[in-house]
Amino acid sequence: MTNEQTDEEIARRVQAGESDLFGELIERYQPKLMRYARKFLFDPEDGADLVQDTFIKSYENIKSFDASRRFSPWIYRIAHNEFVNALKKKQSSRTTFAFDIDTLFPHLAAPETADSAVLERDLRESLERYLDKLDPKYREPLILYYLESMDYKEISDILQIPVSTVGVRLGRARGILKKIAADGQNIV
Amino acid sequence: MKAISRGEIHMKPRWHFILLSALYITGAFIVFLTLLYIVSLGVFFLRDSGELFAPSLGGRGWFSLLLSLPWLLILLTLLFAGILELLVRRYAFVYKKPLLMSVFGILAIIFLGGFFIAPLHHVMMLSARKGQLPPPLMLLYRGPLRMPPPSDTYHGEIVTLTSSGFVMADEDHGTTTVTITPQTRLPYGENFTTGERVVVIGDSGATGTVQAFGIREIDEYPEQ
Repeated sequence: MTNEQTDEEIARRVQAGESDLFGELIERYQPKLMRYARKFLFDPEDGADLVQDTFIKSYENIKSFDASRRFSPWIYRIAHNEFVNALKKKQSSRTTFAFDIDTLFPHLAAPETADSAVLERDLRESLERYLDKLDPKYREPLILYYLESMDYKEISDILQIPVSTVGVRLGRARGILKKIAADGQNIV
Repeated sequence: MKAISRGEIHMKPRWHFILLSALYITGAFIVFLTLLYIVSLGVFFLRDSGELFAPSLGGRGWFSLLLSLPWLLILLTLLFAGILELLVRRYAFVYKKPLLMSVFGILAIIFLGGFFIAPLHHVMMLSARKGQLPPPLMLLYRGPLRMPPPSDTYHGEIVTLTSSGFVMADEDHGTTTVTITPQTRLPYGENFTTGERVVVIGDSGATGTVQAFGIREIDEYPEQ
């Protein structure tokens, strides 16, 4: 019965008091959020705890969810906050979330060219191998775009940055990833 | 999920979020009003001293304006603009725009509003002079936030016309004799009358007479 319902419809019923239905949302989002945590944090134990915290916070705050909007960016936003806070605690000096010139005035260093299917496949391979080499600021939009299949607008809502900044970060992230991949092949 | 079923975790009620939003909006509104007040006060100070009109006298006038800017008020403006940005950044209509654009947007609205509200301070200052305001506000309008004028800039009310210029009195009832030469810049002509308020840029000679580089009348606020 609930399988046919959208996330938003289930969330609305949870808001109305059918708390048990929250289990359905957990079932739907646990694998996705675990994958997001694994790729973003590279720490399975922390990831599991943080995903659990995400669900607790989602349940506590579900009445702030506007059911006329999509549920997915809303819960990913909570997860993003949890993950970023965890990263900040762990590596405060290395993480660069505090200030970003791209949110100040987004601009691309060079125009992007359309990637062919081959380039796209190469990029996905690089993503699997070298994602941990990227700064979290660039890692996160790549995960959301390529692994979680979100569009720019959804990523903009999750990270609370302009849509144009999402494009800039993705462009830069792809460039860095390609460079890392090329350097890696040269070393081998 | 077990913790939810056992009732160990509770949903926050809707009013909690409504209250939170109301607090954010109220906070943002208060900061916005504070910003309007600060900016309009700065505009008023510059206009009242005539420095706002000094750029019509050329590069030296611009320099005089720069030296007279109320830097404390400008710092407060930037501080409160930052606070306002932080308070409204959680809303999609703000975070969807580049930070620079939203900060400039906020400042543009504030400055535009500041120019419109500035005449209010004229009324406040008149009340302060009559001793009709509470002491902290009296102090505010008397001057600690105003920058002293640069050493070559004078402003006051013309009390006497002379054959070579005029004598003007400042707020502290001190007088300054001003000489007009053929080189003096007079963007609005030389038909000065007593009672008129002017800003003068010029160099003071050994006798204390100021040889005017430029003179510009100060546009008065309409009488209340």
